[in-house]
Amino acid sequence: MQSKQYSVKVYECSIDDEEKFIAFFDTNYALFKDHLVVINGYLSQRIKDYLNSKSLIFINNIKLPRGRTRKAIEEEIEAKKREYDIDKIIAKTELEKLSKRLQNNLTVLDDIIRSGRELNVDGDLLLLNRVNSGATIHTTGNLIITDLVEGSVRCDGNFMILTTSSKANVLFHGEEIENRFLEDRLNRVELKNREIVITPVFKKEINWVL
Amino acid sequence: MGIVIAVISGKGGVGKTTAVANLGLGVAMNNKACAVVDFDIGQRNLDMILGLENRVVYDIVQVMDGEATLKQALIKSKVNDNLRFLAASQIKDKRVLNSQKVYRLIRELKENFDYVILDSPAGIESGFEHTIEFADAAIIVVNPEVSSIRDADRAIGILDSKSQKVKDGGEVAKYLIINRIVANMVQSGEMLKSEDILDILNIKLVGKVPEDSGVIDASNQGKPVILDRHSIAGQAYKRISARLCGKKVDMKDVEVSDSSLFKRITGIFR
Repeated sequence: MQSKQYSVKVYECSIDDEEKFIAFFDTNYALFKDHLVVINGYLSQRIKDYLNSKSLIFINNIKLPRGRTRKAIEEEIEAKKREYDIDKIIAKTELEKLSKRLQNNLTVLDDIIRSGRELNVDGDLLLLNRVNSGATIHTTGNLIITDLVEGSVRCDGNFMILTTSSKANVLFHGEEIENRFLEDRLNRVELKNREIVITPVFKKEINWVL
Repeated sequence: MGIVIAVISGKGGVGKTTAVANLGLGVAMNNKACAVVDFDIGQRNLDMILGLENRVVYDIVQVMDGEATLKQALIKSKVNDNLRFLAASQIKDKRVLNSQKVYRLIRELKENFDYVILDSPAGIESGFEHTIEFADAAIIVVNPEVSSIRDADRAIGILDSKSQKVKDGGEVAKYLIINRIVANMVQSGEMLKSEDILDILNIKLVGKVPEDSGVIDASNQGKPVILDRHSIAGQAYKRISARLCGKKVDMKDVEVSDSSLFKRITGIFR
């Protein structure tokens, strides 16, 4: 298949007054002789004959495909830019909302959790008091307990920091953690590569120069 | 207006009723008008320990139902004029109680006495809840053993959520009595230390009562052990009663064995 692509010059108009039209074409014939004439609206036999006599190629009532002007293209780019800016603003507010939610999702408690109490926390929990034997705590987020845990603890977050006694019952992501790993010291329990890692948290010791 | 103190424990058999009888008498001995009320409907015991079994005519349920007036039902103690006793019903059970009746009774008692001491039933059912509902303060009695501590912990938890005072935005004062301490066993590590108990329960200590064989005999005789000058438990209850009446009494360390020579020597000068 052989094909060619080229632009054509078009003269487009509609006819109100046939006399005037013919007069206009007579005077400007040299200018239009290479143009494709597009007539919108009614086209009389007289005009057809006239155009044929002038051997001008014409078509009636047709919508030609149009390349966009530079201005239009610029406008489009501008619009896209604006849209992109809006997207960016939305993304920013969404992020702010998310971070706010995260902050709001941290519960800080200084209650002693007594036997028989069941504390379910949606999100993170920072508990500054004891968990007594017979009490239950469940968090969907991270868990930090600064005092001794003697009750039962379930945590489904990324990490938990706690000290337990031998009476405690600790489940991390459904996995029971033996008390002997957690007793008598502060521990960090976290999930790393789908493995539960327990690290004792020691006080930082000063290394003296010998 | 008097103060209403509920004596609770959670677990049974730790010496709640004994404590109520002795503290009631102790407070009365400090010249305060005191009423002790047995809230253990259906299992009344306090009358025996106070030695007032044969005097019971009307009981708490009859007062609440309007079958008798409070004045008719209150029994005067044989040993102290400041002490009155209101017996529990032995026939009915705790289902007959309801908040409105309890509130009316306690309000009337408060108007007439400086101290109203309520003997709570063991456990944490409705009887217990009604006892603590309108109390201004609670005395928690524990033995130095884990099951007693856990039950007390649970009872404190319920106290902190169900009490009317807490519902109104206030706080119920909570005091701890550690009962039946055996000094030798604490020292050898077989019995829980007071420090550990206080750590777990996190409330104020009002007194420690040592184990004393005289308590059982005193209960059987209907003469609270506080009347016995030589009883170590009686002395402990005397100190606690004085503290409840606002007197400053130094803590006596009952966990240190009295049999040591040093103690015997200081004992002479006391």
